[in-house]
Formats: sequence, C-alpha cells, structure tokens
Amino acid sequence: MRRLAAWLLWLWMAAVIVAAFHWAPLAKDFLGQSSRILFFHVPMAWVSFVAFMTAGVASLRFLAGRRDARRDRSAAAAIEIGLVFALLATVTGAIWARIMWNSWWNWDPRQASIVVAMLFYAAYLALRTAITDREARARLCAAYATLGLIVAPFFYFVLPRLGFSLHPDAVINLRGKVDVEPKMLTVLVASSAGFTALFFWVHRLRTRLADAEERLLEGVE
Amino acid sequence: MGGPTWVTAVNLVIWTGIFLYLLRLERRVNDLERDR
Amino acid sequence: MFAKDWRAERRARHAVATLVLFAVTTLVVASLALGPIGATPGERSDVAAALLWILLLFAAAAGLPRAFVHEEESHTATALRLAARPSAVFAGKLAWVTSLLCLLEAIAAPLALALFDLELAHPARFAAALAAGGVGLAAATTLLDAIVAQGRGATTLFAALAFPLLVPLAVLAVAATRSAIGGGEGAEAVLQLVLYDGSIVVAGFLLFPVVWNP
Repeated sequence: MRRLAAWLLWLWMAAVIVAAFHWAPLAKDFLGQSSRILFFHVPMAWVSFVAFMTAGVASLRFLAGRRDARRDRSAAAAIEIGLVFALLATVTGAIWARIMWNSWWNWDPRQASIVVAMLFYAAYLALRTAITDREARARLCAAYATLGLIVAPFFYFVLPRLGFSLHPDAVINLRGKVDVEPKMLTVLVASSAGFTALFFWVHRLRTRLADAEERLLEGVE
Repeated sequence: MGGPTWVTAVNLVIWTGIFLYLLRLERRVNDLERDR
Repeated sequence: MFAKDWRAERRARHAVATLVLFAVTTLVVASLALGPIGATPGERSDVAAALLWILLLFAAAAGLPRAFVHEEESHTATALRLAARPSAVFAGKLAWVTSLLCLLEAIAAPLALALFDLELAHPARFAAALAAGGVGLAAATTLLDAIVAQGRGATTLFAALAFPLLVPLAVLAVAATRSAIGGGEGAEAVLQLVLYDGSIVVAGFLLFPVVWNP
C-alpha cells in the first residue's frame, strides 16, 4: 500500500473517531454515550463478514482454477483476521449489552449467531492443523471455506432475525433500526469503509508474509 | 474529566499506534520481498 | 452404493439398535420427569421438539458409524475411488445416512408425541420439518465425515466442525417442529430450514468430488 494511501487511511479513521464522539448525535433510546460504540462495533462485525467472504472467494478460485497455493494462504490469512474482527465485535457488543441491559451475555440471537460463525471458522483453523499433507490440507480447507461462503451469510443475516422473530420475549433488541439520523449513518458508513480498507491492507500484509515464509521454507528444502 | 474528548484522544492514540505498527510491518515485508 | 452399505449395516446392527434404545429411553425419562410438574402443552411441545432434534443430532454426529473414516481406515476407500463416480459415492452414503435417520425419526417422533401427550397442529409441516431436517443433517455429517477422514484426530475434529454447522440447522428444525406441534406461525421456519438444508446438500454434491479426489 502506497505511503500516501496509508496516511490517507490514517486521516480517514482519525476523522471517523473524532466524528463518532463529537459530531454524530446520540441515538435516542440509548444510555448516555453508549451509542457511540455502534460506530465501531457494527463495522467490525461487517468486516469479519467481508473477511470470511474473501476467504470463501479465494478458496473457490483455488478449487475451480489453478490450485495456486497462494490462494490457499490468502484464504487462511483472511480467516485469521476475520476471527480477530469477529472477536472484537463480540467483545464490543458485550460491553454495549452490559451498559444497556446490565448483562454481558444472554444468548441474544445476534450474540449467538456471531459465536456460531466464529466456531465455524475456528474449526477451519483446527482443520488446518489436523491435516499434515500439504496438498490435502489446502484442498480440504478450501472446500470448507467454500462451504462457508454459503453458510456464513446465513449465520450473519438470517439466523439473528429468525431467533428474534420466534422469541418475542427475549431481551428487546433495539439495534434493529438505529440509523435513522443521517449524521449517524454517515459516520457508520465512513467507519465501515475505513475498517474495510484496513482489513484489505492487513490481509495483503499477512498474505505477503505467508508467501515469504513459504519461499523461505522452499529455499531450505 | 472531559468524557468524549478524553475517549477520543485515547482512541486516536491507539489507532495511531496500530497504524505505525502496520507501516513498520509493511516496510519489513517489503525488505523480505526484495531480498528474495 | 446404498445397497452395499445397507448390507454392511445389517452385520453391524447393534448401532441402530443402540440408537433406538437410546431414543426410547431418553423420551421416556423426559416425559416421566415432566409429568408430575404438569407442564403446559406449549411447554411440552417445546421440550418434545427440542428433545427429538437432540436425539437426531446425536445419532447423526456420534451414533452412526463414521462411514468414511471407516473406509479410509480399512483402505477400502482406494477401491471405491477407482470403482465409482464421486457423485455416486456421495449419493450412496447420503442415502444410507438419511435412511437411518428416517428410521430413527419414524420411531422417535410418534413416541415423542405419545409420551408427551401432544397432538399435531400441522401434520404436513411436521413431516416436512423432519424430512428437511433429516436430509440436511445427513448431508452435513456425510460431507464433514469425508473431510475429516483424511486428517488426524477424526472424532474430536469432526465434533468441532459439525457443531457450528449443525446448530443453525437444529435451531431451525426445532422451531419448525415446535410450531408444527403446537401451532402458530412457523411456516417461514420450515422454508428457511429447507433453504439451509438445500444449500448444504447442493454444496455437498459440489464439494464432495474435491474432497474425495486428490
């Protein structure tokens, strides 16, 4: 990533941070300043989804086209980073839940769904360690990540809504339609864009690192 | 303690720290690639 | 393929018998335990639905012989790879697991309804939920079984892989089944269940060749 682009990203995210706390209005039904978390929590969750989709696409291309090991490494990197973002999203979500409803965790459908997604992709990493043969590992993990391409949208977008609709007595989740205020929406979108760019940058770095590691190993062999 | 201002400052520091770390990482990876 | 597995199973019939026994025991115990408490029909249908799917999940994930792992271990896998097309292999295994689950469902479901003193509000929906859930369960476990067979630590790894994939399926299936017994709007749960299962089955057929052949 060019230095200029990198520093622009810095500026962008700095602006988002400032805007999140000083420019965007507070959401009506939220306790005190807690709605500010929204501007970080939601983009993190979004980016984890983007990460998992990236891994899925890379894996699909691996399977469908040349079995290029670089694609396999790219997928693994994306999933690692995706898990980190998902974890951050979960933690920020729990903090928010604590502020709002005085309970860190109550298996609210959204919390449960993100946990399922994390377990799914953690299993990917487990799979990676369990298979020793390089070719088989890449192939099977790619198959799994491609399965994720179909299943993850379900985890992120269908499952939360479903649980909610069938258990109306669950903790009332006000996160449904929060972005009514245009200013809030602006910051939210800007934050999401910034985090997405951040992901792609980190992903690129991680993949290049993995490639370099691989070259080192090949050199030794 | 000015609430929002303080939090903003902390976040900015954290973000800048992460950013600089990534820049350094980028430089190292560039070097690694150039050596090969 | 299907016939071959059925023949093999007849020799190892104890697995099926054990599952049935387990199902009956669990249902009896649960209904006995709930009896004295005098749970409402709504609660009973909740419990019955959940219990039914827990049974099926257990059967699919732990109770059924690990078909592919067994093949790999006994080295019959190589012969299979040469003899049949991947889609045939997958279809065969899938059919076998599905039929086993259907057998279990045929025994456990009526039993559950009887023991918990429940009447079906939507019989068609009930059947659909069981069928869809069963097929989805079979497809997911068969595919994962094939993936895991080529790695180490098969059983634990299988559990780790299966859980995230099966949880949404179970949630949907229980929701659909519950609404089929107790009434209420659950038609969309069935739809989502079918969609989820459908995607897994399709994904299974698409991905199996990749998993099966180096």
